[in-house]
Amino acid sequence: MKQMLALGAESIIYKIEQWGQYYVLKWRQSKPYLLDKIDSQLRKVRINRECKMLTISRTLGVRTPAVYSVDLYNHTIMMDFIDGTQFKQLAGQIPASELVSLCHNFGQLIALLHNGNVVHGDPTTSNVIVDKNSRLWLIDFGLSEMNATLEMKGVDLHLIQRALETTHWDLQETMLEATLEGYVEVQDDSAESILSRMKEIRERGRYH
Amino acid sequence: MTTICLGIEGTAHSFGAGIVTSDGKVLSNEWDMLKPEQGGIHPREASRHHSELGPTIINDAVRKAGIGFRDVDIIAFSRGPGLGPSLRTTATIARTLALKLCIPLVDVNHCVAHIEIGCLESEFADPVTVYVSGGNTQVIAFAGGRFRTFGETLDIAIGNMLDVLGRELGMGFPAGPTIETVAKDGENYHNLPYSVKGMDLSYSGMLTAAKKLHSENVLVPDICFSVQETAFGMLAEVAERALAHTKKSELLLTGGVARNNRLTEILTGVSERHETKFHRVSSSLAGDQGAMIAWNGILQYNSGHQIRVEDSHVLPKWRTDDQDINWRKSL
Repeated sequence: MKQMLALGAESIIYKIEQWGQYYVLKWRQSKPYLLDKIDSQLRKVRINRECKMLTISRTLGVRTPAVYSVDLYNHTIMMDFIDGTQFKQLAGQIPASELVSLCHNFGQLIALLHNGNVVHGDPTTSNVIVDKNSRLWLIDFGLSEMNATLEMKGVDLHLIQRALETTHWDLQETMLEATLEGYVEVQDDSAESILSRMKEIRERGRYH
Repeated sequence: MTTICLGIEGTAHSFGAGIVTSDGKVLSNEWDMLKPEQGGIHPREASRHHSELGPTIINDAVRKAGIGFRDVDIIAFSRGPGLGPSLRTTATIARTLALKLCIPLVDVNHCVAHIEIGCLESEFADPVTVYVSGGNTQVIAFAGGRFRTFGETLDIAIGNMLDVLGRELGMGFPAGPTIETVAKDGENYHNLPYSVKGMDLSYSGMLTAAKKLHSENVLVPDICFSVQETAFGMLAEVAERALAHTKKSELLLTGGVARNNRLTEILTGVSERHETKFHRVSSSLAGDQGAMIAWNGILQYNSGHQIRVEDSHVLPKWRTDDQDINWRKSL
């Protein structure tokens, strides 16, 4: 069985069945419209990075799919299939109190990463899965980085704000507030400087 | 009855006047771009350019449209975003005309106008728009009654990066077209910072690295080639992220940098991979010009919007997502 789940920006996601269980197969296919050198370099770097960061993030206390196999030649990763719903799809359908508590938790997870000097790199609500027990899983670590600086953490928070305002415009205030609350709660003492950097980054774009 | 709108654009270094009817016919579209002998654009010089050439350009637009000033029903002007002095000169001309002709004045957002003229030409209903120019690099899509910026540059615009690099390499302004031509002779790819952050991107690191290549005597064609491939590859990725995220089925390329054929080729590839339609706005409507302001003016006016002269102060930092888009059905 091989069922396509999504066509992503840089990969195709399949759900596969093996050893009597479901798994996700993420395939970074080649993009013939890019310069070959850039394309192959990106595919190589991102697949390495994703495998590594999924594991490192788990050691920091964030739920991520476990990696079972990596094929550097075909550019595929096989990992846990998380049975749940994308946070993006769930956000508009649940009661406000539940939404606030999920956002709060989301902020906490991002802070756990940041405390370990890791940034997610693409922290949209598409990359958060809520399982049946309302637990959050972070996925898609292709843009994730280690040794994160204050600037990189600020960008990570800026991207959360950006995702909320473009995708959840009618809920963005509530969601941002709850997310940042959760973030500050878990973040070490540098929360304040990261938050002010986030605002600074937002102003930096020419017309913002 | 058809409505005729005179649109006036002058947010940066170009001044333009265009005449468009409510059936979407562009009757005329005249413009002139300030090309400094050396260096970049000084806002004061740009505004002087607009006040000196503006009246002639407007007269030409009216004449070429085959109408008289009395046939114009609405004046639309670019209220922002842009350089303050340029905007103020443009707005002054627009207000004067509206008062003199006793017709309504409509204030148009420059970025929104780029999207709408692209939609008029492509007949796209709801695209993801890649808007690339000297001052802007944005990936925009309509959602919840507004055009929302899904991604943009965190520092300098792509056109600005190309122009500044071109100046370093001894090219005239604007440098984009020269870089495109020279890049065709490039053979060796040199690594440059590929900086994509979510759907945002950054070009300042690339500019510094490209300048460094130049100082190390790397061949100019190789620099141009490497810069184009990296910069456009990044744009392709954010466009793909926006398509995957919004699940929209049309991809529109607009702004002055849309004239680049290599960028168009790459985004055509993106649209094939995502099975979406693709349109590159034609050269005469891609850059800053008055027709787009006129067309947006008509859309806005027909949805019941106009502005009083006393309220029409310019908005240099007017964000794309700051305006309720009343003429589009909210999704």
